[in-house]
Amino acid sequence: MRRFSEAMGTTISVVVFLLMFVVIALAALGRAESDGGMALLWVALLAYIGWQFVDALAGWAEAPSVGRLAAPFALGAVVLIGWQTIVTALDVPSVILPAPSQIAVTFAGNLRTLWADFVQTILKGAMSGYVVGCALAFGMAVLVDRYDFLRRGLLPVGNFMAALPIVGTAPILVMWFGFDWQSKAAVVVVMVFFPMLVNIVAGLADTTAMQRDLMRTYSASYWQTLITLRLPAALPFVFNGLKVSATLALIGAIVAEFFGSPTVGLGFRINASLGQLALDMVWSVIVVAALAGSLLYGFLTVLERWLTFWHPSQRR
Amino acid sequence: MNKFLAGAVAALGMSAGSAFAADEVRLQLQWVTQAQFAGYYVALENGYYGEEDLDVTVLPGGPDIAPPQVLAGGGADAMLNWMPSALAAREKGLPVVNIAQPFKSSGLMLTCWKDTGITGPQDFKGKTIGVWFFGNEYPFLSWMSQEGISTNGGDDGVTVLKQGFNVDPLLQRQADCISTMTYNEYGQVLDAGVAEDELVTFKYEDMGVATLEDGIYVLEENLSDPAFKDKMVRFVRASMKGWKWAEENPMEAAMIVLDNDETGAQTEAHQVRMMGEIAKLTAGSNGALDPADFDRTVATLLAGGSDPVITAAPVGAWTSEITDAALN
Repeated sequence: MRRFSEAMGTTISVVVFLLMFVVIALAALGRAESDGGMALLWVALLAYIGWQFVDALAGWAEAPSVGRLAAPFALGAVVLIGWQTIVTALDVPSVILPAPSQIAVTFAGNLRTLWADFVQTILKGAMSGYVVGCALAFGMAVLVDRYDFLRRGLLPVGNFMAALPIVGTAPILVMWFGFDWQSKAAVVVVMVFFPMLVNIVAGLADTTAMQRDLMRTYSASYWQTLITLRLPAALPFVFNGLKVSATLALIGAIVAEFFGSPTVGLGFRINASLGQLALDMVWSVIVVAALAGSLLYGFLTVLERWLTFWHPSQRR
Repeated sequence: MNKFLAGAVAALGMSAGSAFAADEVRLQLQWVTQAQFAGYYVALENGYYGEEDLDVTVLPGGPDIAPPQVLAGGGADAMLNWMPSALAAREKGLPVVNIAQPFKSSGLMLTCWKDTGITGPQDFKGKTIGVWFFGNEYPFLSWMSQEGISTNGGDDGVTVLKQGFNVDPLLQRQADCISTMTYNEYGQVLDAGVAEDELVTFKYEDMGVATLEDGIYVLEENLSDPAFKDKMVRFVRASMKGWKWAEENPMEAAMIVLDNDETGAQTEAHQVRMMGEIAKLTAGSNGALDPADFDRTVATLLAGGSDPVITAAPVGAWTSEITDAALN
């Protein structure tokens, strides 16, 4: 295939591979029911052509910037088409694994329910816990940085809190804070606190002696040094912590709902739909959670690029 | 050479022996090992399954195990399930069929604090009620639909809480009423120090909205295999023998359940009380499903109005073939 690419030139080979990809995908989907045994071969062929397509695209010097999205889209398409083909070909019962087409139909038909669940779990539960947890961690980190004896006393306690399993803390917090989103926010605070604390403390320590001396020559007070030098220098660590904590916040909010919730929420929806054997609804909730997580992570990445443009990790 | 011959003879011997081995049956329970399933443990312990040439494995359930899913995945040959959940699974595309119904009456109740002023179902409006999910919500949803009370909260409806499998929401006053079983959670509330006259209880049976509970279900496609059917006939016969023995000997049955409890979490007092209550629910059934009971359950579920549990009367959801052969 490499010789083909070289012979035809990158532009033509990209177009040819793309066309082959589409044709094989359609053939696989169309023939899945009748030609069950061949389904795996179709999928393997599709994966191979997808690989060649991305490979050719990588060699195309004048590729538009959207070409960077080709690899993830090709991989995603192979996974989805392979899933659909195999489930159809092997006649897998939908209570074990529903087909992507079924999940899409269920997702589109339940938008209002899923939106209400999203608001309850992500916006009310996860986000409020995330903000409170990060604010607490920030306050604690500044204190720990200022007073050394606090650092030695509190960091081990934070470590202990982080090790508490969520399946143990969630029922207790539900008992303390009630069934509604407040207990889920509390679970998120517990989960998010320690990673943020550790990252901010590490970030605040990440200034060189020369930089701190420079501030001393300007006769800057502790708080001035903190705000003008150490916090901006800590931002890469802060964003690292924020990104890790975003994932934990989503996990915490959803899992905490398994232990008691009103009849709305992503975790509740997964649990109730599982009990009703509505696996397509379970997968729709998974899609919502994945989209929410990706959006949050993407937002944090953009914010990071804007605020820490000076850091080596942001070089293109 | 001698070792090889000995090994070959042993292998031949084992394979010949396995031709006469008992038929394997795996039963998926719908909760952890407790007296609710005493009949099967008694049949195991007293050798009733052995007499029928069956090698039965009883698989305990738990909070996140959905028996229909286990059945669908091939993890069990038969499952216990409540009829609303099984009928809903059938509508969702999993063709389960009821082959026996050891439980004649329903033990499901709603237990409320008397000081909430609730005297009847219409008083539920504006209150918070704990409901189990995972297949146990259907009788409640049906009842509320028949009463015309919305389950979406507000002053005119009930606020539904997804109750965990414990009685904390009532004790902590997070709910005005909770779902209880006569044989389990009600006793837990009393054990927590609440006096009976502080509570007001609504039995689903008395309210006319009861649905059939623990029944034995298998996958429809397996019933077309005569060997499987024969296995199930023997299994049901031995299981019902176990149930009738457990009804007559509740103390011993509770001890058998305790012996088989691998977690060690159950206590004697709790299991003896549970067995006493379970015996009231199995009394009156010889294992055969009464068509009138089935129709009543279906009617309760279809009367769900705007949010019915099932949308159409099920066809072929139960069979009397197995119990006819087993009990004659």
